[in-house]
Formats: sequence, structure tokens, C-alpha cells
Amino acid sequence: MDNMVVAMMLGASLFLGGVALVAFLWAIKTGQFDDEEKFLNAVKFDNEDDLNDAIKQEKKREALKKKDYKPE
Amino acid sequence: MSNKIACSHCHLEFSKDVMIQDGENYFCCNGCQGVYHLLSDSGLDSFYEKSAGVTLTPPTKQYEDSSNFNSPAFYDRFVSQNSDGFCEVSLIIEGIHCSACVWLNEKALHKMEGVVEANINFTNNKAHIVWSDDVVKLSEIIDMIRAIGYNAYPYDATLQEAHANKVRKEYYLRLAVAIFASMNVMWIAVAQYAGYFTGITQEMKTILNIAEGVLATPVLFYSGWVFFRGAYYGLRNRVVNMDLLVATGALLTYVYSLYITIREHGEAYFDSVSMIITFVLVGKFLEVLSKKNAADTLDIIGKHLPDEVNIIRDGKVLSCKLQDVQVGERIVVNSGEKVLLDGKILKGEGSFDESNLTGESKPILKTIGDDVISGTTSIDADIEFEATKDFAHSTLSNLVTLLESAINKKPKIEVLANRLSEHFSSVILFLAFATFAVWWLWPHSFEESLMVGISVIVIACPCALGLATPVATLVGLSLGAKRGILFKEAAQLETMAKVDVLLLDKTGTLTLGKPNVVAVKNYKEFDIELLYSLINASKHPISKSIKEYIETTYSSMNSYAFDSFLHIAARGVEATYKNQKLLGGNERLMKERGITLEYTSKNTHFYFAIDGEVVALYELEDTVKQGAYELVEQMHARGVEVVMLTGDNNLSAQKVAKGVGITQYYAELTPEEKLHYVEELHKNGKVVVMVGDGVNDILALAKADIGIVMGSGSDIAVEVSDVVLLNDSLESLLGAFKISKTTFSLIKQNFAISLIYNAITIPLAMAGLVIPLVAALSMSFSSLLVVGNSMRIRYKWNRS
Repeated sequence: MDNMVVAMMLGASLFLGGVALVAFLWAIKTGQFDDEEKFLNAVKFDNEDDLNDAIKQEKKREALKKKDYKPE
Repeated sequence: MSNKIACSHCHLEFSKDVMIQDGENYFCCNGCQGVYHLLSDSGLDSFYEKSAGVTLTPPTKQYEDSSNFNSPAFYDRFVSQNSDGFCEVSLIIEGIHCSACVWLNEKALHKMEGVVEANINFTNNKAHIVWSDDVVKLSEIIDMIRAIGYNAYPYDATLQEAHANKVRKEYYLRLAVAIFASMNVMWIAVAQYAGYFTGITQEMKTILNIAEGVLATPVLFYSGWVFFRGAYYGLRNRVVNMDLLVATGALLTYVYSLYITIREHGEAYFDSVSMIITFVLVGKFLEVLSKKNAADTLDIIGKHLPDEVNIIRDGKVLSCKLQDVQVGERIVVNSGEKVLLDGKILKGEGSFDESNLTGESKPILKTIGDDVISGTTSIDADIEFEATKDFAHSTLSNLVTLLESAINKKPKIEVLANRLSEHFSSVILFLAFATFAVWWLWPHSFEESLMVGISVIVIACPCALGLATPVATLVGLSLGAKRGILFKEAAQLETMAKVDVLLLDKTGTLTLGKPNVVAVKNYKEFDIELLYSLINASKHPISKSIKEYIETTYSSMNSYAFDSFLHIAARGVEATYKNQKLLGGNERLMKERGITLEYTSKNTHFYFAIDGEVVALYELEDTVKQGAYELVEQMHARGVEVVMLTGDNNLSAQKVAKGVGITQYYAELTPEEKLHYVEELHKNGKVVVMVGDGVNDILALAKADIGIVMGSGSDIAVEVSDVVLLNDSLESLLGAFKISKTTFSLIKQNFAISLIYNAITIPLAMAGLVIPLVAALSMSFSSLLVVGNSMRIRYKWNRS
């Protein structure tokens, strides 16, 4: 019985750790740690405007892709 | 000092009366004012909150027209199209001080129509920009960056960066997995060791073994993949390398541990498997990192500007791709521009700087009918010339073709680590096998014999050996980086320490490569500010040197505004100021104006005349750099042969050689002759270090064991060299030799440490006396010793 408890705890913690590792690997792969200074500063400058800006940028990209983009 | 206030844009402080007042704001210059209004108009003024406390550079620079960024030649080289049909370019942004600058640039570009993505890296100032070319042109993007007070120039990301980045990311991922797993394995191993001493049930042991095995599997097969790959390539070339030892050691241990886990008897070594891989992988990662940093620095010094020539067709000036110019076409070159094709001058005259190609330090005057050579630079000549060869046959591209073969034939000195690890790996594998055989024949169980055999490999695990070189070279590289010495490859530190012959170029390497004032004669009293104002308006290297000289000799200098001013190509400058006729220039100018001169010497002269009478004479000469004599002396003391190779004439070569104490020199050499000299030395088995800066040195630089180039040298020379001296000084050249020597002795010390360590522990392992805990601890301990030893040198250097 004791052994089962240890096995379960080991399994659960390794699984959780594995999830964190996969998230970290994903972040590296998508280039979020390419600039070691910028991702720290991103926290400092985070605000509503920047989020809106990011969405606008996304929309602009889609519009340009369709080639029917007309400057406002 | 209370009347000083800060500029609203750049935050530099000036006294209130020189500032431009604009409402509540004060500006130091029009540039700052312009940027401030641009930012507040486009709603980006929160930049000033973000950049609080940072002073910026005022945007005062004048830029040439950005339209050449739209040229087809430029698009061909630097702009690529992605799958969505958008254009992409990699730029380096100049003038980034803080994270707010990054924010401002990104926001300003995002606000532009047609810009899809702008991503700027703060650490290396590199930007990646994606835009739709139908909506906006690259020149408009460049103009926007310049308008907000920064500058941008392109670099070729595919050349170095793309590869370096890919490798770095790959290692990053592998290392992340390895470190994560090793750290967790160590926690479980603590329980194992505690159980080893205090007793543990076999079931519990098996549970722990399975957990360790699960963690060690990705480490061995994912993170450790690089070692299997390295071992495979090594075996294919019939070399037993370190990778093979790491791979066999880790794999055997892993298989044995699996066997133990299934048999539920004995001790598993999964912790050793992940430790071996992780430690040696860290060493490899350090090497990769240093390569990436070198690539970043190189991209920044090689400022690539569009390579185009202006040709005249049907009476109109057109810009044309270099490769498309036909023989016989008329090409326009203006002062300060590079000549990119060979030809004959049809119109105009002026002086050219050929030092890059021939080593000749003085400007050369060329007039109608003279040949111009590709790779030289016009100093003050505005000419039109007829192309006599197309680009593929020009002097410049001939050199490039020769260069490629020189690079391919470059000798490779095997680094100590490789030679040593080859023997080491073979010996260890043999010892492990012998141990197993002896134990088995000396009747022991198969299992026990195998365990002892494997413990030999584990204890001899080349962790320390694998870290010995990377850690030492990393220390060397960072010492170099602080002193402006850039090594492109870590292994070059070692090669450089073994130097036999040092070859030095003259112009630009031993000497400053530009004329310096060596003597002044004042014939008459005159207002020095008149001369200062006159030469201040000229960009000729001689004027610049005299200006520098005047600025250091006299204190504050003011410029007068002239009534009239005229450049006379290849001769000098002329101006009038309050009815005084000022004339400054060479002997020829004076003679043409009917002024008689008595003084002659072989050096370059600058005469200054007021109203037809010479009042001052400046004598200029290319002077030897500081520290040249010390360099030669120290290299001689170390038993290194020092030879000077130059394309310049014998007389000036002799003078410089004598001045710095070089006895062996060769003058009037062509680039090919320099190359042959290096080959001659190689035939005699010498290790050659070549130092140069110009196009005329590139063949020798590429062929030498180590090519060292001055950071201000031509792009192509920087590209083929192994070491770049960013500040051009001979002190840093000497520093490079010192660093390489220190690093090499450090590598040897580290090897000695790890070998002594193994000499003690391997017999113990062979005797079967090593328990798993001791094996794991000793491994970490020897690695720490090696790292600690390397850090010691760094500390010592930083103090001195």
C-alpha cells in the first residue's frame, strides 16, 4: 500500500512537471525567449492599448492576405 | 548650473538660452523637435513615460536618399517573399538605447499601412519586418525609422544568423529536456542513496528505478542524439571520438540499468546516464552560444549598402545592377564612392585611394585616359569612365574566385581535445572490456562482471574532459570580447597559441593607413581659424588629418562663413573671406596659381596661402600605430618570426620596418604573391598567423592558419578572417595572442586535472570498489574542479 502511494505521487508529479516542460519547449519553439531582455520588458509595458494594437495588426494581416485591403 | 534644462526629446541638458522654446517644451535642435511632434501627432507620446531617465542621441544626421533601398539589386540580395506573398527583410536598427526605443519602433511601424509585422530584438538590435509590397515600399519603412530618430541598414540573415539561430534553438530544446530530467532524477536518486545506506525494500527500489528510467529515456535518446550523430560520423571517418565514448558509456549504462530494473536485483545507474549527457551537452551548448554571439557582432560591422552603379545611357543617368553592366558602358563615380568595375577615365580627374588593393598609402591622382581599378575608392574625384571588363572578369571578382579555392585548401590543425579524446576513448573502452573479461574469467557471475565493467566507463565518463575545452575557451572568448577581440571559432584560440610565424600587412595594419601631420612650418603670422574654416569644409583625408591636428594643438576653434568657396579636385580648396583670397592644397595647385615653392621632400604636403603668399606648410605621412614596436619585441621574445608583407613600395616599407624593429620584409607584393608566401611557410610545417585589413590581403588571410583582420577593414576581408580586432589597435592584437596562450594553458591544465582524476578513480573502479554514490559524486566533483579552474583565470585577468 505504501508503495502504491509513492508510485502515485511520483507519477503525478512527473506528469505535472512534464506538462510544464512541454509548455516551456513550446515557448522556445515559437521564439518567445529569443530576446532575453524583451520578454521581461513585455510584462512592464503590458496594457490595453498594446492588446488592441496586436488585434488590429492581426486583422490587418488577414486583410492584406485577401488583397482587398483598403487603407482607411 | 541651474539654468541648464533637459531637451524634451533626447533629455540631454543644455543652457536655456540656446534651446528652442516651443510652448512648454524645450528642444536642443530641430531634429528633436521634429521627432517630438511626430510622436505626439501619431499618439505615441507615451514613449516619453517609458523612456524616463534615458538620454537619446539627437537625430541630427543627414541621410542619403533612401530610394536605392527599392532597387532590384537590393531586393534580390536582402528581401525575400514568404508563403503569404509578403516581403520580408532583416535589418539592424541603429540608435536603440532602451526597451522604450524598441517599443517605439515597433509601434511606429505597426501604424504604417501595409506593415504586417515588425519585430525588434533588444539584445542585438536586429529587426525582422514583414510588409505588403503593393501597399508600402521598403524605402518608406526606412524613412519612418529615420524620421523617429533611428537608422536602419540591412544584413544578410541567411549568411550566418539563420544557421546559428537554428543550431542554438536546437541545443536549447535538447538542453531544457536534459536539465529538467536530470534535476528530477537527482531527487529520486537521493531516495535511492538513502535506501542504499539505511535499507530499502526491493519493491520500492523498483518503483524508483522505473521513475528514473522514464526520466532518463528522453535524455538519452532526445538530448543525447547529438552524441550518437557525432559518434556515427566519427566512425564513418574511422575516428574514435569523445562522442563515441559518451554515447557508448551512456547507452551501456542505460541498457544495464534496464536489465537491473527488470531483474529486480542490484543497483541501477539511470542518474549517471542523464548526468553524463547533461554535463557534456552543457559544454557543447556553450560553444554554440559563443558562435551565435560572434555572428551577431559580424552582422553589425558589415554595413551592407545597395551595390549598384550609375551608368549613362542615351544621355540619362540610370542605376543598374552591377552584373548587368556591359563592356563599353559609361559609368559615373562621384567623390567618396567605391569603384566597382575596371575601366578607363573619359571625363574628370581626382585622387583615388588604392590602399585597399595595393597597399599604397598615398592617394593616387588619376586623370583622363588612366585606368581605374575595381575595389578602390574615389576620394575627391567626380568622373565618368568606360567599363573595359564586365563584373565577372573584374579585378575584384577575380580575387573572390581565387579566394574560394584558398578557403577550401585551408589547413586544419587538429585541436588537442580531439587528439586526446581519441586516445582516451579507445583506452577507456579497452579497459572496460578487459575488466569485464578478467572478472568473468576469475570466476564471478556475468552480472557482477558486467556491472564492474560498466562502472569503469561511468567513472571515466568524460564529463570533465568534455567540459575542459568549452569552459576554457568560453573564458578566453569573453576576455577577448571585452577588449574588442572577436574570435569566430573557439578552436582558433588554440591554433593561435601555437603560432610560428606572424605576417603583418603594412598599410592600415602596422600603420594608421591615413596621413598624419608630422611637421609644420609657419612662414608668417596668420589667423589659424582661417585655415581651420577652410579645411573644415573639405572631406579629403588630408584636410581631415590637419583638422584633427589643429583641434588637438589649439583649444577652441570657430569656423568663419566664407563669401565664396570652391573645391578643386585632386588639388585642394579655395575660398574668399573679407577680401582675403585663401588657398589650401598641394604643390600642383600652388604652381598653377603662380606661387613659387622652395621646399621639397618625399612626403605629402599641404600648403596654405593667403593672397598669393604661402604662410604655412604641413607635412603629412602615414604613421606607425601605437604599440607596434612592443608587439614586434614581444613576439620576438616568444620566439615567433615576424615578417612584414606589403604591396607598397620598397622605400616606405623599409622605413616602417626599421621603425618597429622588423628585419624581414617583402615589398611590392601582389595579393597572389602574399598567398604564395603563406603556402611556402606551410610547406615548411609552420603555423602562420596573418594580420591584414584590405582586399589585397584576403588571399593570404584565408590561407593562413589564422587570419586576423582590423574591424575597419574591407567587408570581404572581415568575412574570410578568423579573428576580428574591432578597435583596430595593435594592443588588442597583442592581447589576442596573450589570451590565446592563456586559454591554451588553461585547456592543458583542465585536461591534466581530469586525467589525474581518472588515473586515481579508474583502478578503484576496476577493482570493483566503487559504489554508485561515489561514482555520481566524483563525476560532479571533477566537473566542478574544471569549471572552478577556468573561473580562476578569468578572475586573475579581470584584476590585472
